[in-house]
Amino acid sequence: MSTPTSSYTPRRANWLTSSPQTSEGLDLDPETFDDGFGFDEIEEIAWDDAPLTQNAPQVVTLDPAQISVVVDNASKIYRIRSSTEHKKNTKRVSRQVQKVLGSGWAEIPALERLSFVVNRGETVGVIGTNGSGKSTLMKLLTGKIRPSTGEVYATSTPIMLGVNAALVRQISGRENIRLGCLAMGLSPKQAAERFDMIVEISGLHDALDMPLKAYSSGMQSRLQFAIATAVDPDILLIDEALNTGDAQFRSRTKKRLDEVRAQAGCVFLVSHSLGTIKQMCTRAIWIEQGRMLADGDPEWVCSQYEEYTDHKSNGRMRSAQIVYDRTLLKLAPVQIEFQEGTRPTKAG
Amino acid sequence: MAAPAAEQRHTPRFELGPQRIVQMDGSELVRVGARPGFFQYLRDIWRFRHFLQYDAHARTSSQNNLDSMGRVWMVINPLLQAAVYFFIFGYILETHRDVVNFIGYLIIGVLTFRFIQGAVTSGSNSIAGNQNVVQSFNFPRACLPISATVRELFATVPTFVVMALLVYFIGDYQVGDMERADITLDWKWLMFFPAIFLALLVMTGLGLILARIVAHFNDMKHIIAIGVRLWFYASAVIFSVDRFADRGHDWIITVMHFNPAFCVLDIIRDAWLYDGLGDPFRWLVLGGWAVGALTIGMVIFWRGEETYGRER
Repeated sequence: MSTPTSSYTPRRANWLTSSPQTSEGLDLDPETFDDGFGFDEIEEIAWDDAPLTQNAPQVVTLDPAQISVVVDNASKIYRIRSSTEHKKNTKRVSRQVQKVLGSGWAEIPALERLSFVVNRGETVGVIGTNGSGKSTLMKLLTGKIRPSTGEVYATSTPIMLGVNAALVRQISGRENIRLGCLAMGLSPKQAAERFDMIVEISGLHDALDMPLKAYSSGMQSRLQFAIATAVDPDILLIDEALNTGDAQFRSRTKKRLDEVRAQAGCVFLVSHSLGTIKQMCTRAIWIEQGRMLADGDPEWVCSQYEEYTDHKSNGRMRSAQIVYDRTLLKLAPVQIEFQEGTRPTKAG
Repeated sequence: MAAPAAEQRHTPRFELGPQRIVQMDGSELVRVGARPGFFQYLRDIWRFRHFLQYDAHARTSSQNNLDSMGRVWMVINPLLQAAVYFFIFGYILETHRDVVNFIGYLIIGVLTFRFIQGAVTSGSNSIAGNQNVVQSFNFPRACLPISATVRELFATVPTFVVMALLVYFIGDYQVGDMERADITLDWKWLMFFPAIFLALLVMTGLGLILARIVAHFNDMKHIIAIGVRLWFYASAVIFSVDRFADRGHDWIITVMHFNPAFCVLDIIRDAWLYDGLGDPFRWLVLGGWAVGALTIGMVIFWRGEETYGRER
């Protein structure tokens, strides 16, 4: 665990909460009161668990035909084997015992509880620094891992295409295309039909008969992208696939993505390129340290994110923390309720 | 660079945006990653049969491609193994007493059990060892253990051809005081195919059960290795069951008669070496194992469907 370097606690000037009589007669804005005197009046107020504003929550009823993906209170704590786990044990004997027994379980909180609803036709950009939980969210969305709490619901199983999708390295690109198509549930006939389209998108005409070992990483991710788009998925997740590949490939991807979006599904796009997010998305979600910070207009979310990363890369931890808090304050959290008896349980 | 993270996680929630409650009718939605019903699951596996077959094929053909002798090893390896066993058990330990056509007996035992052992071992590792595939594609996870078993069958075909040739040409060869009977090639040799098919079903069922166990407790791999070794000696691979009959260990014989691996070996030996069709009781036991193991294995594996893809 890293030690907290920031000792920042959210502050509030007392004139914001207390009755007007304290500031009566003081016809001055405390912000401009910079002779070092007025600031003594600013006291620190401990945050309590109750929200500051107890407004009645807005109740919105959604049209079920519009909904594409519902993430209900999902969180993820990884439980993985770690061979250094015994070092945390403070008792000497049991630490030695644990050392001999080998790896213990390390619990790694990856994602805090988050909820959101994505409608049909939306393109959602997911941004966040490395290790913030973006990929975990994508894995939850595709159902490859189960959330520790909560559930993910969708109209159909989302299809993920990422830079780490499994291809078999020993066999040729041609065979990999076929294997990938079959793994996604296409029949051999359909796989043969889509073959030309996949080759077209990947642009790998010349390299088809080489074993995958001979491919560069850019070629591999192009192939993966092309294979994954072969199924016309209703819900498509893209994990940083657009950052790889040359300009020519990017224009083809854009064309293909427009086609996918046009057929009324929805697209999730994970990217570190804010330009791509602003250009292609209708909505952006910012995940930072496992927590959803912002969910809304891509321009606004990206500007906040940019400010945050700028502060952090220049070592201004406190400023970064302020941006973090400020953004979180604007978040309108969503609580999901299903109408009586319609909570989905069946498989897709 | 330490993030403000660690502290942030423990701060109280201060959500100032308006609380929203979203109500919806969820009857159109499905839960992502949910386990389908059992029969739907079987249908899904059937839908993925081409994937299963192509995957097994692609991996078999790329198995030995780092060796310069490539697939020739699929033939040489079992030959050498049979020779080693013959030298140790036939020549030094002399377990060949009371066995007619001991060389054929040993070849069939060792090579067929190699298939059984390989199928169970690769089936049990199929989930734990293929996490990258599990996490990248959505297909019924039972495809992996099944594909592993089928792959083992594909890889053993050359071995079986070698086995048939060896048994035909040197199976009745006499070394020292060994008893012999003539081996004739006739239609009864075809009994090999249904026997291996039933064995494949048994192995698939066991592979499914063990794959789930290993996916949850990786340590079980070691126990399985020991168990397979024990099974080797309980299947009369290198000696005759009759050795126990005159020593009053009747319970060992009973155990062996209900052992599917022994049944497979016994049927193949009866058909190839002794011109028989296999004891009907062996067929019955083997058939029972095939149906039982496959059904139970499928149910057990299906019940864990949602737990396989996870970081470990």
